[in-house]
Amino acid sequence: MDNLLFSKTHEWVKIDNDIGWVGVSNYAQSELGDIVYVELPKIGDEFTQFSKFATLESTKAAAEVYLPLSGTISEINKELVSNPQWINESPYEKGWLVKIKIKDFKEKDNLLNEDAYREFIEEEKEK
Amino acid sequence: MLTDNSKKTPLYTNHINSNAKMVEFFNWLLPLEFSGILREAKACRSNCLMFDISHMGQIRIKGDNSEAFLQELTANDVSSIKPNGLQYNLFINSQGNIIDDFVLYRLRNSFLCIVNACNKDKVLDWLNKRKFNDLDIVDETENNAFISLQGPNSQCLLENVVGVGLDDLSYMNFLDLDLGGVKLTISRSGYTGEDGFEIICPRYYASNLWEKIKEGRGRVIPDLGGLGARDILRIEAGYPLYGNDIDETTNPLEASLKWVVKYNSKDFLGKEKILEILRKGIERKRVGFIMEDRGVPRKDYLIYSLQGSVVGKVTSGTYSPNLDRFIGMGYIDINFSYENTPIIIDIRGKSFRAFVHRYPFIKTRVKS
Repeated sequence: MDNLLFSKTHEWVKIDNDIGWVGVSNYAQSELGDIVYVELPKIGDEFTQFSKFATLESTKAAAEVYLPLSGTISEINKELVSNPQWINESPYEKGWLVKIKIKDFKEKDNLLNEDAYREFIEEEKEK
Repeated sequence: MLTDNSKKTPLYTNHINSNAKMVEFFNWLLPLEFSGILREAKACRSNCLMFDISHMGQIRIKGDNSEAFLQELTANDVSSIKPNGLQYNLFINSQGNIIDDFVLYRLRNSFLCIVNACNKDKVLDWLNKRKFNDLDIVDETENNAFISLQGPNSQCLLENVVGVGLDDLSYMNFLDLDLGGVKLTISRSGYTGEDGFEIICPRYYASNLWEKIKEGRGRVIPDLGGLGARDILRIEAGYPLYGNDIDETTNPLEASLKWVVKYNSKDFLGKEKILEILRKGIERKRVGFIMEDRGVPRKDYLIYSLQGSVVGKVTSGTYSPNLDRFIGMGYIDINFSYENTPIIIDIRGKSFRAFVHRYPFIKTRVKS
């Protein structure tokens, strides 16, 4: 979980030069429960920060996933289509959703680091 | 999320101690899942799964005329229930639509209706408005816990726990048992399509009994199941859920529950309307379907013909871990209700191919 940044909608991004790996947090996958279906965007699709780019469906519900930083989709984790349970089993590694070419690094300021995210979850749980 | 006035079953503390994820279901706090919905749904068909179903309404009807009363208000033939028998039945209104689907126990001097939690108050009201003077209609829901044990290993496990052989207990029958002074009613019945048992247990002993079964015996240790697995299992078995697949806008003929309606052998409220529907023929029918590819069909999604016209609506759907397919049920134009008819399900604006398939989707293993 090195250098991950989180959104308040429970996505994470790991920045590697100008590429961001994106997935959902461990908290998000455990709240969703067993994920059975993943709908990912196409390579080349462009999204602005915090806009919807994917849909995850668990046995309970469909959940929209929002992109933590603006960017262009450069790669998708195709394996998830037939192995959606990887998001539950390994949300920060095998369960990554997409890679993006980051458009604006200043947007990082709108995200939480790991400690701040952990505090945010605790507050959410108390609600 | 959880409101203060939600009701706890006698097994609430057991569930919390087992780290269940709890959910509110028609004002009851119930386990949604324990070890994971998919895992639980698989365990039921390979081992056995124990559920807390204490939220189900228990309505007892006592009095000399209780049989005549129930005959008048229900679709199935109450007179055909043998002593210690159970029957799947429907309360029907004057429009011929379904007020509730329920299981009726013929007890020694009374009847017990196991009704849906969402319908209990409505059914009580319906019955009380029509009751004869000498009848007693009593809501006994909160006197008891109701535990369901389902799956191929449930007989072996339950026999060991209660110390009584269950070979002679056949499907849709029950026996009364005295377990060291505790009176249990054990029926061979369920909502999963597997062999299994449902146990009515006095409130004070429920937590004990749950723990005794949970501990397991020999090599059989049950898995614990929540509402999530229960929903998957009943869809795999093709059983309707009130509020999704049947309600007061559906009649039993279009709901594929014609087998319950004994219009040839008895009179009942709504029979005229049912006969009229029979004469005219139904326009839509509840059918099952299997998705060709991955994609979760959910309640209220529209069903299209290949030509692109709307021909129906999904009422239930899920991923089936036992089939590794996405399955569902819904009402569909009668012309498209035949086996293998290709259909399209609209999932968030995208077209997914599916085909009509008779239920049960799985091979049921209930014992007769």
